[in-house]
Amino acid sequence: MDTEVLMKLNKVSKTYIMGEVTVEALKETSLDIYSGELLVILGPSGSGKSTLLNIIGGMDKPSSGDIIYRDRSLTKASDRDLTLFRRNEIGFVFQFYNLISDLTAGENVELAAGLVENPLTSQDVLAQVGLADRVDHFPSQLSGGEQQRISIARAMVKNPTLLLCDEPTGALDYQTGITILELLKKAQQSMGSTIIIVTHNTAIGAIADRLVRMRSGSIAEVIVNEAPVPPERIEW
Amino acid sequence: MKVLNRRLWHTIRGSLGQFLGMAIIITVGISLYIGITTAFFNLSQSQEVFYQDNNFADYYFYVVRAPESIMKQVESVPGVALASARIQKDVPVLKEEDERASVRITSYALPIENQVNSIQLLDGRLFSENPVGGGIEVMVNQGYLDANFLSLGDKIDIVAENKKYSVKVAGTATGPEFTYIMKDASNMMPDNETFGIMMVPLKQAQQLFNLSGQFNQVLVQFTPGADVDATVKSIEDLLSPYGNLSSFPRKDQLSHAALEGELAGLDAMSSFLPLVFLSIAAAIQFVILRRMIKTQRTQIGIMKALGFDNWQIVYHFSSYAILVCAFGALAGILAGVSMASYFSDMYAMFFNLPQAIGGVNYQVIINSLLLSLGVGALAGFSASRPVLSISPAESMRPSPPGRSSRSLLEYWTWLWSKLSSSWKMAFRTISRNRFRLVISIFGMVSAVALLILSMFTNDAVDYLMDQHFNKESSYDYMLTFNQPVKESELLSISRLEGVNIIEGLFYLPIRVHHQGQTSEDVLVGINPSNTLKKPTRENGSLIPIPSEGMIISRRTANRLGLQVGDTVHLETLMGLGPARYADVKITAVNHQLFGNESFISLPQANQILQESQLITGALMKVNSRQAKIIESQLSDMTGITSIVSRQKERDNIMSMMDSMIYMVSTMIMFSVILGFVIIYNSVIMSFNERKRELASLLTIGFTRREVAGIMWRETIPQAVPAILLGLPAGKMLADLYFKSIDFDMWYMPVVIYPSSYALAALGGVVFVVLGQWAASRGIKKLNIIELSKNID
Ligand SMILES: Nc1ncnc2c1ncn2[C@@H]1O[C@H](COP(=O)(O)OP(=O)(O)OP(=O)(O)O)[C@@H](O)[C@H]1O
Ligand SMILES: [Mg+2]
Repeated sequence: MDTEVLMKLNKVSKTYIMGEVTVEALKETSLDIYSGELLVILGPSGSGKSTLLNIIGGMDKPSSGDIIYRDRSLTKASDRDLTLFRRNEIGFVFQFYNLISDLTAGENVELAAGLVENPLTSQDVLAQVGLADRVDHFPSQLSGGEQQRISIARAMVKNPTLLLCDEPTGALDYQTGITILELLKKAQQSMGSTIIIVTHNTAIGAIADRLVRMRSGSIAEVIVNEAPVPPERIEW
Repeated sequence: MKVLNRRLWHTIRGSLGQFLGMAIIITVGISLYIGITTAFFNLSQSQEVFYQDNNFADYYFYVVRAPESIMKQVESVPGVALASARIQKDVPVLKEEDERASVRITSYALPIENQVNSIQLLDGRLFSENPVGGGIEVMVNQGYLDANFLSLGDKIDIVAENKKYSVKVAGTATGPEFTYIMKDASNMMPDNETFGIMMVPLKQAQQLFNLSGQFNQVLVQFTPGADVDATVKSIEDLLSPYGNLSSFPRKDQLSHAALEGELAGLDAMSSFLPLVFLSIAAAIQFVILRRMIKTQRTQIGIMKALGFDNWQIVYHFSSYAILVCAFGALAGILAGVSMASYFSDMYAMFFNLPQAIGGVNYQVIINSLLLSLGVGALAGFSASRPVLSISPAESMRPSPPGRSSRSLLEYWTWLWSKLSSSWKMAFRTISRNRFRLVISIFGMVSAVALLILSMFTNDAVDYLMDQHFNKESSYDYMLTFNQPVKESELLSISRLEGVNIIEGLFYLPIRVHHQGQTSEDVLVGINPSNTLKKPTRENGSLIPIPSEGMIISRRTANRLGLQVGDTVHLETLMGLGPARYADVKITAVNHQLFGNESFISLPQANQILQESQLITGALMKVNSRQAKIIESQLSDMTGITSIVSRQKERDNIMSMMDSMIYMVSTMIMFSVILGFVIIYNSVIMSFNERKRELASLLTIGFTRREVAGIMWRETIPQAVPAILLGLPAGKMLADLYFKSIDFDMWYMPVVIYPSSYALAALGGVVFVVLGQWAASRGIKKLNIIELSKNID
């Protein structure tokens, strides 16, 4: 594994102000993300995991601090810049899949493919997630796990540098959850993607190259996992 | 229940735009209902009272001259309730500036109240039969007084039987036959400046026309349940010896027909327009509530689990619709009441009804409240029905992703494969909500059709003006002589400087007989080579005058069921000389716009009269620079009864048209509002439903503009066909509208210019763009971070 830094977060804070109350969702957090690693972010509910992930993915802007992606600063990026950043560099997978209900599985994937210049072929990606035979099905005709696989395919087809997953297994049963993690691991290995998984499920930490533990808006510790376990061997 | 009310309030605040949008449509519907219905009610009410108070005649009989003694027999005919004899004749007025005008002298025996078609004093005092200091006292209609800047006590110079009289205006008055004062049906509109009614005592009218002890008209009211045909026949038998008998029923009386036409139009609109607006409002409410219930399935389940019963929940949701309607109705009542007073003012101006029409009609207001609340309750309760079948346990499970169905377009695989994903998405979303699609399209079609309906009156009038002033007839002046003269006498007029064309014509009143039925008509004898006046076909093209045979008027053709090729029997009804008879073949039907005239060649008209080269009037085209001089020279000539200037007529119509602008622009505004609300609602519903999906598009790198583009893709396939369909629908609506009025006196073709279609389509585009813009402002506020949170 090379150790090139893909993204650098420097003292990034995020404060939400709601009338009188201000919530410090993220407090001066610094973190380097290495190219090609599988990073798992763990922490209790409300600890700022999603906030951190959203800032990494250009979905949200920090209140203060710097973000450098490769050799480019995203600190002062405009909305338009962030949109392009998301379009070209990021793939997102959510807990609740968020597929377009009016497009078939295949079309959901193609929709994303159409956004970038050199996408992977939709068929290949669908085959990779094992749903090549369901291309013509609508989300409402798929199970939760299948929908999540489509959503991974949709993220992967853009061949993103960074694949960000917020509780990707949160809504799924154990067996299906394992399948999803296997898919993500496979994406990391075969395509060299950098993958960040946010979860409150500590067991998942075992598959990570590095593990970030969060507590009330700060990074409590970063653990380098010398021997990541393949997903099929973990249990919860 | 308190909590539920607060929840309702919350719901309304959350969908304020939609709530107000629907309320506005209700407002428009209710204000139209109140405005038009009140105007209709007031107008027909005052018509009825006015007719009642003044013994409006059921039947009219015209003769040349008959002795007063015959009236005793007329009165005793079974079926006759009231009969009056009078003298009515048009005479020229001498005005200072050599301008021509004429008045219709109409006589009244005292006491006036007992007359058929009696009159009501508006201003000043009644004429006296024996005024102090001698002379003649008269009343005139208010319009004539005002248009000619006269005051009470002023004198008017008239000419009767070649003698000049100066009569004194004692007051102004009106009567049921003078509600819409036009010289004859060939006028488009009243012209108070050049034509008025002059009411004089019977005795003095008899003196003016050398008719002492005689009359020329009998007006009759029938007893209830009288056998009209038999009664008319008996009176005709009594009067036929007195020359050129003609008779007609109330429905052919000019001002009555005009008033009835207006009432029929109001009646048709008073139910049609509100129906369109209210039914669209109801449909939108239905769709919105259905949607609300669907998305709040879980909450409804929780409410049920807590112990609310079905009725409470149904009531809760229905209250939304009922509140929309209540709000809309209140605003609509305010707007409607002021609209009603505007309409009433306008009708007061149009029809000389003495009783102030106007005033608030409480029954109509109560009806409108009931109507709108009924609409709300209906939409609310029918939309809330699915509440009944929601089971608390089941509703707690998260709902699956929105169901999608294939669009019909997918069967056209070639096209479908060419579409981009965003188009596919749009088509599927549209076809997922078929009912909503139908409502949106129906609504937009109605809005565009109403735009056409609002604009087409302008086209119709424009077409009428062009046809009437430039095609059917293109003369500048029409002269009428006090008796038939030789055509060669026109030479002296044609020598006047500036007279470009002069063409003689013969106005011959006739009765047409065909298969036992008769109809009275005017036969215009005119040279086939004439250029200034022409009969027209239904499509507006001109018909040349045949040298042999006649072109029959549309009305007579309809009444007698005549076809081209039939031969009819004509009886002349000239005031002087014996009646003549002739059989003439019909060569065409004349669809002229105003009035009903039949045409024949001038030689053939003379032949029927056993005369030669006689004319009763002439048409002139003059050099416009010399018009004024020619007019005054003509005024000095004796033997000319009237000089009608087209320019005056045209100006008069244009000024009347101005008052329509307010109505037309209001209707255009209403139509655009309707279209706007429909689009706004449809877009906002689709947007709210798919917020998550649209936000997820943002996360994968779509720009907000591209997301807005996706929303547009959903609107365009609905809006484009709807706007296109709206155009022919507007034409149909205009056809229906004219059919509901069905003029007998005027032929009104539905004419809609391409420019109006273009403007209506443009109006459609405007409301679509505005509605889309207003509804998709939410895209700016789409929060992509919400996505990672739980489904709400
Ligand atoms: N839009 C917002 N407005 C105000 N406060 C917010 C907002 N989003 C997050 N927060 C607050 O920021 C803190 C961190 O939230 P975040 O969503 O990052 O937590 P999380 O670690 O992802 O939790 P979970 O595991 O429950 O998803 C929480 O206290 C939350 O209430
Ligand atoms: Mg979270």
